[in-house]
Amino acid sequence: MQAFGPRASTPGRPLTPGLDRRQLLRALGVTAGLASFPGLLAACGSDGDGGANASGDLLVWYWGEQEAAGLKKFFEAQVQAYNSSGTDSAGKVQAVLQESDTLYTAFRTAAEAKKGPDVQFFWGGTQALEDVWMGHVEPLSDHVSSEFLDQLDTDARRETYWDGKQWGMPFYQIGTAWAYNKQMFAKAGLDPEVPPATWDEFVTALTALKKSGVVPLGAGFKDAYLGGWLISYLGGQNFDSIDDAIAVFRGEAEYSGTKYTEWLERLKELIDRGLFNDDVLSIDLYQGQQMFESQEAAITNSVQPQIVGFERKLGADTVGVMRTPVYGTGALADFFPAPSQVLTITSFSPRQDRAGTFLEYLHEPEVMKAMYEACGAITPDKRFDPAWLNTEADKKMAEWKSSLPNFWYQYYYPFPFERDGVTPGVQQLFQPGGTVANAVSTMQEAIDKWRREQPAQVKAYQQWQLLS
Amino acid sequence: MAAPVVTATAGTPRRAGAGRSGAVVRPYLYLAPATIVLVVVFGYPVLRLLVESVTVPGILGETGHGLDNFRSVIDDPILRRALLNNLRLFLAVPVMTVVAVLLATLLHERIAGWRFYQSIVFVPYVLAIPVVGIIFSYVLQRHGLLNQSLGALGLDPLVHDWLGSSQLAIWSVWVVIVWQQVGFGVVLFLARLSSLDPGLIEAAMVDRAGWWRRFRHVVLPHLAPIIEFFVTLSLINMLSWVFNYVYVMTGGGPARSTYVTELVIYQQAFRDGLPNLAAAVSVILLVLATVLLSAQSLVRRRIERMES
Repeated sequence: MQAFGPRASTPGRPLTPGLDRRQLLRALGVTAGLASFPGLLAACGSDGDGGANASGDLLVWYWGEQEAAGLKKFFEAQVQAYNSSGTDSAGKVQAVLQESDTLYTAFRTAAEAKKGPDVQFFWGGTQALEDVWMGHVEPLSDHVSSEFLDQLDTDARRETYWDGKQWGMPFYQIGTAWAYNKQMFAKAGLDPEVPPATWDEFVTALTALKKSGVVPLGAGFKDAYLGGWLISYLGGQNFDSIDDAIAVFRGEAEYSGTKYTEWLERLKELIDRGLFNDDVLSIDLYQGQQMFESQEAAITNSVQPQIVGFERKLGADTVGVMRTPVYGTGALADFFPAPSQVLTITSFSPRQDRAGTFLEYLHEPEVMKAMYEACGAITPDKRFDPAWLNTEADKKMAEWKSSLPNFWYQYYYPFPFERDGVTPGVQQLFQPGGTVANAVSTMQEAIDKWRREQPAQVKAYQQWQLLS
Repeated sequence: MAAPVVTATAGTPRRAGAGRSGAVVRPYLYLAPATIVLVVVFGYPVLRLLVESVTVPGILGETGHGLDNFRSVIDDPILRRALLNNLRLFLAVPVMTVVAVLLATLLHERIAGWRFYQSIVFVPYVLAIPVVGIIFSYVLQRHGLLNQSLGALGLDPLVHDWLGSSQLAIWSVWVVIVWQQVGFGVVLFLARLSSLDPGLIEAAMVDRAGWWRRFRHVVLPHLAPIIEFFVTLSLINMLSWVFNYVYVMTGGGPARSTYVTELVIYQQAFRDGLPNLAAAVSVILLVLATVLLSAQSLVRRRIERMES
């Protein structure tokens, strides 16, 4: 299983194998290769499904097996059931599972050609809205009933609500938390059933774990994905509302001051105390998480299906789940992030109403129940019955979800902010001599660069009024 | 049957003129297929690239045109860092060249076990770059094979976080590139040396020329055109063919310390959905590669003049 999140879930593959290329041909071809870059872009990801689309069938490009194992089987079964039911008399539904690496490139290529899926999967928040702003997505709210929209989880809707319209249909949500090892807690003299809830308790617990001879926090940052996790866990605790998160991208605030940057001080404290594994920067995210599974580390960042997997493998007496300890003073200080992945209707689809009907079908109670049973994915819908949950971790996270604010920072900032600011800024914190000031400066530079390079997105942010 | 026709054609001034124009046109007809292919394969993509690079996307599918993309990328400190790293990788070229020339010369002298050594030297080049990258990303981890070996040998002061340190990461990639690419140079130089007249070496030996003098005055001049080719090729590679190493081994990190130009293009095009900015950087890269190719052409002409 891959780690949660769009960026976390896209380890990527090298573009070119380079095995049998001859250097001579490289030299002769380099100019052509560079020059034909747009052609290469157009070529990437084309998979020939346009034929199915042209046939009149409703084509769905989906993703999720990578983080919720069993989703493919569920989807295939539901498509078959939907086709057999005769709900759509104009044609059938065809669903094609997409690869992580080509999820966006293949779709954008199709969108440019205006030939491709009628329904497209996106990772949520800005990762879906970016394609909305590119003009690739049709408002969902124009093709489903208002009663249906009212049934959707409001927090999940908010992530893809923009310009007064609902663009994405929350498909499944994934609680994001920390897995901890109860046995290691007990060995370190800590109460295994009461994980740390405040920052001071957290530091005390990690210090005790370190003294007991284990790595307190197992993490990997070589592949850059950890930055998005850390800012989403820690970076919003001084916010009073999600508006605070997007204010810096609207140009209403600078990324500075305690409200925005205290989390970096807190993180630096953990690093300076040696509470992470010493090879954070030379291993990947999943390798850091594996340190928990192999019981080398006491705590790791994790997501709902993965924590459930840990629980099933190591036992409920070993694996516990905890929220991010609170240091902040904002209204969002104590929160539980359960971000949602979404399905959308494409702007170039000639079958948009049929697509809306199919999306509504995926939120039928028996379908939501079947999805949870098949892959543990929870549908963010008010009709999802908590009585269906069957693991302790799921039940605990559902309880948190129902009682705490839901906010996943990564879904509200533009990706270049993470790549050019958060990741390098936090990575340098892990280096000898790394400073919070440098990290803050790197992050502000990233925002400035994004504003310079993407004025259209800045404008989109200024138009962004959050769903209340 | 054929003779009268030939006579009639030759004897008519009008036809003679047609013959001359036919002679003028004929080469172009021969060239036409290749020209068409070049226009389709190279010309159109170049044109498209240029158009993309000056297209500025707006919101909800609107577009405009201008040089904003170029201004953005030129102002981008990340691109400047990436170009600096490409320049750092250029430093690998003289190292690769010297090592490859020396190895090729040694192997050409048929030292004991030369066939075995030749295979050993060439094997890294045969391996796929992603495979090499993945293997070395494990070998060079903080608790990887290299550091474990150094520790076992009591060389703890040499233990470093080779890929996790922003000071060392680009140089770790540098070493891996040299390790893999030297083999190609050896094969190129060996092929050239096989055409060297043994009589020249023997004559030099009769004149009591030592190894160094034979190398300096006989072998090296013979290798000069290939060295020039290898150097130019390697420089272009360091500019526009190192993406795989960086992507697999470091992903550009830590803290952007191993960004190269291709990675910037990839991220803008595929991660950010900014193909127009990626096109602008590609145009810059195309210009730089063209400059290198032009420089190679100048050097080659100079060498040819010297040889003649």
